[in-house]
Amino acid sequence: MAAGAHGGARRVVVGKAWEIPAGGRKLIVPFRGRAGIGVFNVGGTLYALRNICPHNLGPLCTGHVSGRFVASGPPSRAGATLTMDRDGEILRCPWHNWAFDITDGSCLGDPRLRVKTYPVSVDGDDVVVAYAED
Amino acid sequence: MPMTGAAPIAAPGWTANKETGVRIVDCDVHHSFENPEQLLPYLSKFYQEHLYDQGVHFAGGGYPNTPFRKTRNDLKDPGLKRRDFNFTLEFTQRELLDPWNIDVALLTGSPSDIYGAAGLPDPDYGAALCRAFNDYTIEHWLERDERVVHAILVAPTDPVQAVAEIDRLADRRDTVAVHVPLSTAMPFGNRFYHPIWEACAEHGLPVVSHIGGAGPTGNTTTPVGSPTYYMETRMARPAAASAQAASLICEGVFEKFPTLQFAFIEVQQLWAVSVMWHMDFDWKAIRDQTPWLKRLPSEYFRDHIRVGTQPMHEPARPEQLQWMLDMLHADETLIFCSDFPHFDQNDPVTVLPGVSDHVRRRIFSDNALELLRMPEA
Repeated sequence: MAAGAHGGARRVVVGKAWEIPAGGRKLIVPFRGRAGIGVFNVGGTLYALRNICPHNLGPLCTGHVSGRFVASGPPSRAGATLTMDRDGEILRCPWHNWAFDITDGSCLGDPRLRVKTYPVSVDGDDVVVAYAED
Repeated sequence: MPMTGAAPIAAPGWTANKETGVRIVDCDVHHSFENPEQLLPYLSKFYQEHLYDQGVHFAGGGYPNTPFRKTRNDLKDPGLKRRDFNFTLEFTQRELLDPWNIDVALLTGSPSDIYGAAGLPDPDYGAALCRAFNDYTIEHWLERDERVVHAILVAPTDPVQAVAEIDRLADRRDTVAVHVPLSTAMPFGNRFYHPIWEACAEHGLPVVSHIGGAGPTGNTTTPVGSPTYYMETRMARPAAASAQAASLICEGVFEKFPTLQFAFIEVQQLWAVSVMWHMDFDWKAIRDQTPWLKRLPSEYFRDHIRVGTQPMHEPARPEQLQWMLDMLHADETLIFCSDFPHFDQNDPVTVLPGVSDHVRRRIFSDNALELLRMPEA
């Protein structure tokens, strides 16, 4: 991995764009000597999340990707519908099934929790992740 | 604070941060078989034919609507042909015992695969299946890893055969308890079960009771009927544990068998505080109805009943966890349980945030070692 200065942040090439087709992911473990990140391709847009669940430190980015389950009302109400939307945008931690929005890192079940996200871009063929020095 | 246990090796590149000097006794490690036919070598000809002919025919072997196919997503059989993936010792060694530094693992079987035997309407087939499962456990698990111990699974539907099974296996080094699943046709204090409790007391074995399994429905029902959704069944578990604990205390089981202890597993924890407080309050007023009780109900509880850590409450304010542990007398009553490999498992690193070293040591090892009568190494 090559790292270089970019504005106020550091940037690092984590792979080639063709490695992460739409619906795919790439795990980079370790990332900066730590538990890693996952780079996800949701409908052509890349997102990078830290591979540590803010609930109990599980390897979040190895979890199952699917959608959000939505009910228009209790099933006892006439005409109530049960659907899944945002398929491909929701990541569930393999340890305790907590769901996170890949596009912004927010936790669906607990608004106070958020998994760390990183700016990610494509530079030529390279997938580039930026991070702040700390 | 030093981390207990190791960091998980759950993704490539992760490294374990081994902890030394802290023993971890895990009192809820699920194990199973890949196929019920693995029990055939341990069944009589009669029940071999029964298994071929009828399968295990558990009326209710556990609630089927468990999320996530029940097991942690990162541990599942990649083919998803099985709901569980914990049917080999190697799997449990690789994913639990080694990376998390578990020193003692109490095998608790599988609610959906075998607990139903404890509540079968046919008590003879139930006893035969429990016996076969115990023998399978001995050959494929206990005799291959010294860290692994078991609780003798018995069907309480026939106390005579349950006692015979306890007598058969009690003297093994790796037998540390007797397992009677939590859901029963009658409360545990009922005198119908006393021969089982007497055998446990005579052999110095505690009773471990994990949720699910036995009883006419196989599932944890509520005082108002059967729940619809899985989350409801989980909320019914503390009620079931409360009823069993109150029954044991009120019927005088601990006056009759003063060395007998029980552990309730996978029932959460806060109910135990309520039972102790409420029973003490009532006893002061209506103790004349149970004059064979010589002490406060909470004193029986603290001496005789243990509670597993899983699923552990995660209160919004961390100090509330400390309050609960204090109210629970956790340094006496709480024993660590991972519930590996199920989706709601607790790991030793994150389960007790901010808890003092002394209480952690009690919960992770000493309480369980005393319960299981295992001398400290």
